[in-house]
Amino acid sequence: MNNIDIAVIGGGINGSSTALHLAKNGLKVCVIDKDSICRGASGVNAGTLTMHMTRAKLIPFAKKGWELWMNTEKWLSNNIDVKKKNGLCLAFTEEEEKLLNERSQIRKEYGADINIISKSEALKIDPNINNKIKCAAFCEMDGYVSANQTGDAYTKALKENNVEIVENFEVSKINNLNNNYEIIDLHGGKINAKKIVLAAGVYLEKILKLVDINIKIKCFPQQLIVTERMPELLKTVITVAHGKLSLKQFENGTVLIGGGWPGKGNIENGYNETIPENLIGNMRLACHAIPNLKNSRVSRVWLGLEAETDDAMPIIGELPNLKNAFIIGSIHSGYTSGPYMGKLLSEKILGNDVDLSLFDIRRLMN
Amino acid sequence: MCYKKEYDVIIIGAGPSGVKSALTCSKKGLKVLIIDSNGNSGGQIYRAPPKSYIKKSEKTFEENLIQLKFSEDLTKNNIDTAYNHTVWQVSPGFKIDAFNENGTIQWNTKNLIVATGTYEKIIPFDGWTTPGVIGLAACTILLKAHQTLPGNKIVLAGNGPLLISVAYYILKFGGKVDAIVDTSSKFEWIKSMISLIFNPKNFIQGISWILKIIFSRVPIYSNSLINKVSKKENGISVEIQNIKNKQIKKLTTEVLAVGHGLTPSTDISRLLKINHSYDDLKGGWIPKLDKYFKSSMKGLYIVGDGSGISGAIAAEEKGELAAYSILKDLKLIDETEFENNTSKVIKKLKRYEIFAKGIAKLNATPKSLIENISNNTVICRCEDITKKDIIHAAENGARNLNQIKSWTRFGMGPCQGRTCQYSVAKIASEHLRCNIKDLGYLTGRTPLRPFPLDKAIGDFEYEEITKVEAAPL
Ligand SMILES: Cc1cc2nc3c(=O)[nH]c(=O)nc-3n(C[C@H](O)[C@H](O)[C@H](O)COP(=O)(O)OP(=O)(O)OC[C@H]3O[C@@H](n4cnc5c(N)ncnc54)[C@H](O)[C@@H]3O)c2cc1C
Repeated sequence: MNNIDIAVIGGGINGSSTALHLAKNGLKVCVIDKDSICRGASGVNAGTLTMHMTRAKLIPFAKKGWELWMNTEKWLSNNIDVKKKNGLCLAFTEEEEKLLNERSQIRKEYGADINIISKSEALKIDPNINNKIKCAAFCEMDGYVSANQTGDAYTKALKENNVEIVENFEVSKINNLNNNYEIIDLHGGKINAKKIVLAAGVYLEKILKLVDINIKIKCFPQQLIVTERMPELLKTVITVAHGKLSLKQFENGTVLIGGGWPGKGNIENGYNETIPENLIGNMRLACHAIPNLKNSRVSRVWLGLEAETDDAMPIIGELPNLKNAFIIGSIHSGYTSGPYMGKLLSEKILGNDVDLSLFDIRRLMN
Repeated sequence: MCYKKEYDVIIIGAGPSGVKSALTCSKKGLKVLIIDSNGNSGGQIYRAPPKSYIKKSEKTFEENLIQLKFSEDLTKNNIDTAYNHTVWQVSPGFKIDAFNENGTIQWNTKNLIVATGTYEKIIPFDGWTTPGVIGLAACTILLKAHQTLPGNKIVLAGNGPLLISVAYYILKFGGKVDAIVDTSSKFEWIKSMISLIFNPKNFIQGISWILKIIFSRVPIYSNSLINKVSKKENGISVEIQNIKNKQIKKLTTEVLAVGHGLTPSTDISRLLKINHSYDDLKGGWIPKLDKYFKSSMKGLYIVGDGSGISGAIAAEEKGELAAYSILKDLKLIDETEFENNTSKVIKKLKRYEIFAKGIAKLNATPKSLIENISNNTVICRCEDITKKDIIHAAENGARNLNQIKSWTRFGMGPCQGRTCQYSVAKIASEHLRCNIKDLGYLTGRTPLRPFPLDKAIGDFEYEEITKVEAAPL
């Protein structure tokens, strides 16, 4: 492989989006993954595009991401299911009502169009929710993507834009030569590129060590639960005040239950294991929100690994003390904003003026 | 029954393999629990009639007698049984989570024997989801456990020994077999018979079954497959095609029972991330085990057909070997006793395995069986995924089974890939011209069986579940 302008290491939503925008601007790009494209967090996440669970400071970015998702045929491909839905965030106790008011207010200040509505208004929007709610927060900007199709859609788009896809290539060494990076994998395979983008998801800590940067990236293994196909059980995307539930029904009838309930996972050997008590807790919360859900059966449970920095904010931008090296990752609700964050980073790489100071990695280095 | 929380040994699956290991372990004083989702011991082969079942005929099969003996032995040896319990999760160490009609339960053990058997392969064809088309193995359950004919006129199709045994039982019950449609040739049958000398009992039984079929003048279509099935007013229309000369013969019948062999149930070993290898003659992917059926995970054994298809008698032997290995590890038998006990069993088992492999050749999947599936035929019936969808994923760059699953959603429904995994792999490997092994196998996931949410959640107070830390803002 010759004359690569930019090698993106890690083919998740962040790496693939960065690569796609760069390629559309005429650069020769390759995406490298130790597994296959979007088989990490980006292929197994819940695919919820909600403002109700987004970190307040990231709302402006999530909104831009949401808009990109709603127009995938224009920049990605038409073989991925994206649906706009109304989003309802529920409060069941007085305490939760207070929490919901506070949190919605702050998110609103950051630009989310969220409004508190009464119980009867909420039940009118979605009659399937538990009538024991106190109130709900409503947002029109919500919806979902069938995240399992991410790999299919990005592979197609990347190929169409002449991006080289290198799969099963686990980067284990990065040599910084004069005007060139030499990227080496476990089996001695080599790729040369003028610039690099590190986008390795939960493995960012490990890959940063290869360029002598030491920061902590926490890894959260999270469980997801999907039911068999059911007749209509809910019309909206459901979340709850304290943020531990996300619930939606896909076009094919399956209901996905998420909310970040932890399982066990080991990024070293890839072993992961569900925690039955947490599955049951998550299912109870889901059935409390939508009582009719309890007539369905769970057909599958899986785990995904989410990355988080010490201050829970993303790292996006140039790497210090290195030329032509960039990073992107650890973005909360990163699937929603990934397409936009990738675009932002690509503009930075292309030399445009973008302000990424909020996400500068130097804040985490000491 | 009042269960203990912790057992010396827990066995999942009360078929011949599980029962044999339970008995062997308990004879040395170990506290054993055996779990099965069926209502009784016996497994698939010796499945007991349902409790509510009112016997219509006085016929008692040898299988029913064996089952009664299992029940008796388990009771005599004070082995705890948890029937009607479906295991939905197994975690290392080992925690076993199950549900039944009333809710969920968890047991613990240091020694786990997985004896979960096998399920049948059915390669799709046009119209295979038409009502009236059933599995060949499902048909044996109807006949032997329920003593019920699936219909009065039946066509049997597919391949392997099950064709003969099902035909025999149907005739015995007074049903009519309209045809046997077999992908193998008569010559392949004769070749495989040679291996039967390693198993004289089955040999004699097999010959008597074949004679009964011949005397009943059942038409046998060798080298043939089912091309198409469609619904008709009084039944179904079946199109039989000769693989060699492509000639087509049409029949009208009530029921088509079809099966293409058995595949080991590896749900639990895949979930526990044991390494697996591919062996066509053992039914497909099987866990890597030592000769006492011990896996690489401490205390975990996989016995019976789940460790490779070899039939009911071999299953008992495998169960016995695993039990001896546990007894030795727990120092309940010494090295010499262990050697004495196991060497005989291993010798017997070897003979059965030669026999099983000979028979397995009859279950080979001919290329034409896959080529014959039309592009719009649904392969994963839980999610309506067609052959075209699978080929599309392969064409777009999906290179292993998990990736194909992710892109198409095949195997995500209630059958969790048990029915379609093999066919999808075959279709993809033919299309990509690669070895089926290179596509890997589906990652094991919980729940091991579809898990009813109402059973999972039980009764609860809202306050109990909200003791979680709120997500950061
Ligand atoms: C269970 C779960 C549910 C979630 N739900 C949502 C949601 O509903 N909405 C939302 O917006 N966000 C959600 N998220 C978050 C979102 O999925 C992530 O923020 C996002 O996918 C991260 O993308 P990424 O590209 O940074 O990482 P990843 O998708 O993990 O990609 C990193 C890639 O790098 C590759 N890699 C790593 N090391 C190497 C190496 N040495 N050499 C080569 N390649 C390497 C990996 O194989 C991987 O493909 C969820 C996350 C999880 C885990």
